[in-house]
Amino acid sequence: MGSAPAQIPTSFGHELRACLRCRLVKTYDQFRDAGCENCPFFKMEEDHERIVEVTTPNFNGIISVMDPSRSWAARWLRIGKFAPGCYTLAVSEPLTEEMQHICQEERVQYVPPKRM
Amino acid sequence: MSHHHSESDDDDYSYDDDPELEDEEEEEEEEEPRSSRKKRGRSNPDPVGLRGKKRKPSGFIEHGEADLGAEDVGRHRHFHEPASFRSSRVGAEEYLDFMQEKYSNPRAEYEDDGDYEDGEPTHVDQQALLPSVRDPKLWMVKCAIGREREVAVCLMQKAVDRGSDFKIRSVIALDHLQNFIYIEADMEAHVKEAIKGMRNIFANHKILLVPIKEMADVLSVKSKTVELARDTWVRMKLGIYKGDLAQVVDVDDVRRRVTVKLIPRIDLQLLADKQEGREIVKKKAFVPPPRFMNVDEARELHIRVERRRDRMTGDYFENIGNMLFKDGFLYKKVSTKSISTLNVTPTFDELERFKKANENGEIDFVDMSTLFANRKKGHFMKGDEVIVIKGDLKNMKGWVEKVDEENVLIRSDMKGLNNPLAVNERELCKYFEPGNHVKVVSGTHKGSTGMVVKVEQHVLIVLTDTTKQHIRVFADHVVKSAEVTNGVTKMGEYELHDLVLLSNLSFGVIIKLDSEAIQVLKGVPERPEVAIVKHGEIKYKIDKRMNVKDRYKNFITVKDVVRVTEGPSKGKQGPVMHIYKGVLFLHDRHNVEHAGYVCVKCSSCVLSGGSYSGADRIVDSFSRLGNSKPPVPPSPRRFQRADSGYNTGAGGRHWSGRGGRGQDLLVGAYVKVRMGPFKGYRGRVVEVKEKTVRLEHEAKIVTGKLDLRYTHTWFAASTPSFSNMGSQTPIHPSRTPLHPCMTPMRDSGATPIHSGMRTPMRDRAWNPYTPMSPPRDSWEDGNPGSWGTNLLYPPESPYSRAYEAATPGSEWASSTLGRSYSDAGTPRDANNVPSPYQPMTPSSASYLPSTPGGQPMTPGTDLDVKSPDIGGDAETWLMPGILVNVHKAGEDSNAGVIRDVFPDGSCVVALGDRGEGETVIAIQREVRLVCPRKNERVKIVGGKHRGSLAKLIGLDGSDGIVRLDDTLDVKILNLDLLAKLPHA
Repeated sequence: MGSAPAQIPTSFGHELRACLRCRLVKTYDQFRDAGCENCPFFKMEEDHERIVEVTTPNFNGIISVMDPSRSWAARWLRIGKFAPGCYTLAVSEPLTEEMQHICQEERVQYVPPKRM
Repeated sequence: MSHHHSESDDDDYSYDDDPELEDEEEEEEEEEPRSSRKKRGRSNPDPVGLRGKKRKPSGFIEHGEADLGAEDVGRHRHFHEPASFRSSRVGAEEYLDFMQEKYSNPRAEYEDDGDYEDGEPTHVDQQALLPSVRDPKLWMVKCAIGREREVAVCLMQKAVDRGSDFKIRSVIALDHLQNFIYIEADMEAHVKEAIKGMRNIFANHKILLVPIKEMADVLSVKSKTVELARDTWVRMKLGIYKGDLAQVVDVDDVRRRVTVKLIPRIDLQLLADKQEGREIVKKKAFVPPPRFMNVDEARELHIRVERRRDRMTGDYFENIGNMLFKDGFLYKKVSTKSISTLNVTPTFDELERFKKANENGEIDFVDMSTLFANRKKGHFMKGDEVIVIKGDLKNMKGWVEKVDEENVLIRSDMKGLNNPLAVNERELCKYFEPGNHVKVVSGTHKGSTGMVVKVEQHVLIVLTDTTKQHIRVFADHVVKSAEVTNGVTKMGEYELHDLVLLSNLSFGVIIKLDSEAIQVLKGVPERPEVAIVKHGEIKYKIDKRMNVKDRYKNFITVKDVVRVTEGPSKGKQGPVMHIYKGVLFLHDRHNVEHAGYVCVKCSSCVLSGGSYSGADRIVDSFSRLGNSKPPVPPSPRRFQRADSGYNTGAGGRHWSGRGGRGQDLLVGAYVKVRMGPFKGYRGRVVEVKEKTVRLEHEAKIVTGKLDLRYTHTWFAASTPSFSNMGSQTPIHPSRTPLHPCMTPMRDSGATPIHSGMRTPMRDRAWNPYTPMSPPRDSWEDGNPGSWGTNLLYPPESPYSRAYEAATPGSEWASSTLGRSYSDAGTPRDANNVPSPYQPMTPSSASYLPSTPGGQPMTPGTDLDVKSPDIGGDAETWLMPGILVNVHKAGEDSNAGVIRDVFPDGSCVVALGDRGEGETVIAIQREVRLVCPRKNERVKIVGGKHRGSLAKLIGLDGSDGIVRLDDTLDVKILNLDLLAKLPHA
């Protein structure tokens, strides 16, 4: 394992949410308590309103990445540089403009989901 | 560079002191060739230049250099501001400032995927990531249904707990794939190790390896929601409305609930009973059909209907219980999970039903633009013809120049609009015109092709190529295509036109296959009966070869041509396609219904073509022909009078036994056309009708254009080689006259009429008993010259005019004598030239003495010239202004434009493609039409529209599809009636 893993979801149902930027999947509570490991600048743990804004319950499929740097799937999904953890294959909504702006300020890449 | 790259990997993790990274680096090195190729490709602009420059400063540089190396790989593409910076190439200083700034920000390095481009990863980049043999593999592992996510998460937990001896790389649980998860690992052993002891995983089940090619497909999931917007069409997933079409009215994103409107399935009686507390007999399986709510009806049943205003929208709804109705629709709030939004393509009927709701047409076809929400990506392509259906530019037509994400750049030919305009794709619709040949690419008619005959906004009416039916399709579901297909022609083991046994023991021919049902023309001769069946209702394909007897006890086998003489299908004719239980299925290509199939009793048919039952039979019949009797075609009229007639007449089974279909011996024979516009064509005779034959040419079907005599000549002359050709015929099943391109819209004008052919002498000419039949020995001696002239065309017979002005009588005579059936420019006798302009008199004179036939010229030729028929048909095609080829004997063929036509059929032709050359006079038979090509301007030289100018917009076998200039009507006319116009 390349780096410390992100939190592992504690449930598998409707409580799950995915970060709109890095697609990390955790429960609402986990985001509330620890934020997103890949996107700490969203400061979800400090501002709980943010959780709803930058995460979504609406995502498609789950991929547990044990070894991001050596996983082809992670590379393909462009999550190869994130912390090990559970991600989703695709989210359907983009970040709000405000949040995209934060990404820009933080100089982190954000790729909105493609409409297929 | 490779080294930098791996360094950058370390950088990307905030936790880079992990000892395991050492390993990783090595591994990265291995992968280098591929990734660097990819990266080099897009690490511009000018990474080398930048690197070169930044070497000069010192101190900070050492560090910067390393970083930049990595940057070169990924990072420097990520500056969001430096668009200007890059383009101006300000230089190293500024660049370094920028770098400094960037790296002074502690979080800047935090995430850098390195794989991302400035904007979106391009397609090419993604391609570069496709798996190779060195990548880990994907294994499919069976797990308990509904536990897919759970298993994936548990395996993650297990990996965290176990640490580095857990060798799998990732676990994928797809929402749309139940019962399986994918595990990414280098070896199957790793997978087995990982799943050992896992609950919900069936470890004993076989682990399947996903082929490398399919790995990317596993991961390409579509974004789940197609943005549940208002007006989107969706389908219900649950309950009694399962599968029903619904339209989104409102979306509550927070609670993930949507309000949809659908056609209620409510049993009012049941509802009334319920409300009044009566006993309800529960019929479980019963689902009420969809029906619009009729409030008055409900009230009559004493159902409480309250009209209330919705607090949120301000609209009024009829409330029954807790259900809301408006305009007859049920408005239902459902969870987003209970509707499916992907690939919802409402069928035509469904939309019609939705539309019917309000007679004022609130949901007009214009509103079908809501359909576009479900369009696939890449719907429009460069070059598509489109029309704007919304907004200021409504009804503007144009061509697609470029497609962006949502906007389509279109170019219009309107004046003053030189620049392409960007239009939202939802405001666009593909545009077609009547006459376009199209292919349906989605929907129930997917796969069919046909011609657009009418355009009603987004709805096209298409005449399909195979079934000749009109289908209504959305313009969106159609692309232009020259392809002609039968639509779906195969479904499971059944193919179009198969004879099948249905489960109720009836049988029939499959006349249409579509994605949902199979249409079968049942074997009921009394009336055409079409059954629509499901795949499962077909028991098996009947593949029996049987012989039956026709009305006159002739054996009929499959492929024989028969004519129906009684019953509802009387008059139809065509080859027999199937025989079963005394019932024949013929294919009459003129029949527009049931894909051309006709079902008849065998006893109502008369065999009319040569039998195909064996290749040898044809050969056989001709060899017998040689020593029994020349093929004097008995008059068909005689044939109908009584069938005993010829039994007694010409002895031998050869004639009588075959039902007196003497001329039908020609059927199947390979012949060559001697005269007329089809001169030189070779083909197989498919039908003999009185004095005309129908040939099937290799390339096109030539119908009824040929005087029997012409072909006969050749036939007679080439008898020695005839058997060969004859024997070949049955091997070409594809050349049976089942021409799929035949359109039912055939203009009557296109059908040649040969009524003028019945001359008083005909009976004699056709009568086998007349003394005019040639002496047998002369035939055997191979003296066709004598029999030819004697036999069919007794001198006194006034020849009727067929089709052309060229006098066939004389042509016949001269060519028979000359035996040069391939003649393009046979010298002709002056006598038969009806035109005083004929320039060839001397040549014919010199020709005559060399005639080998001993009977230089029949008096018939003289008569012929004076035949009153002359010029009647001649007028069909010579008209001033058309482009023709003038082919005078002994000269090359020249193009020219007809300037004038004389009453006798000769014409003044100005040579040259545009008629710019010298003017010559040509007789009609020296002049041939120039066959127009698609998109060329034509003049119609025959039929109802004779003289009209038109444009040839399509070709369909031997027919041309034209659009008339004056009325813009689209007509289908035989190509022979279309004359090319000279280029303006």
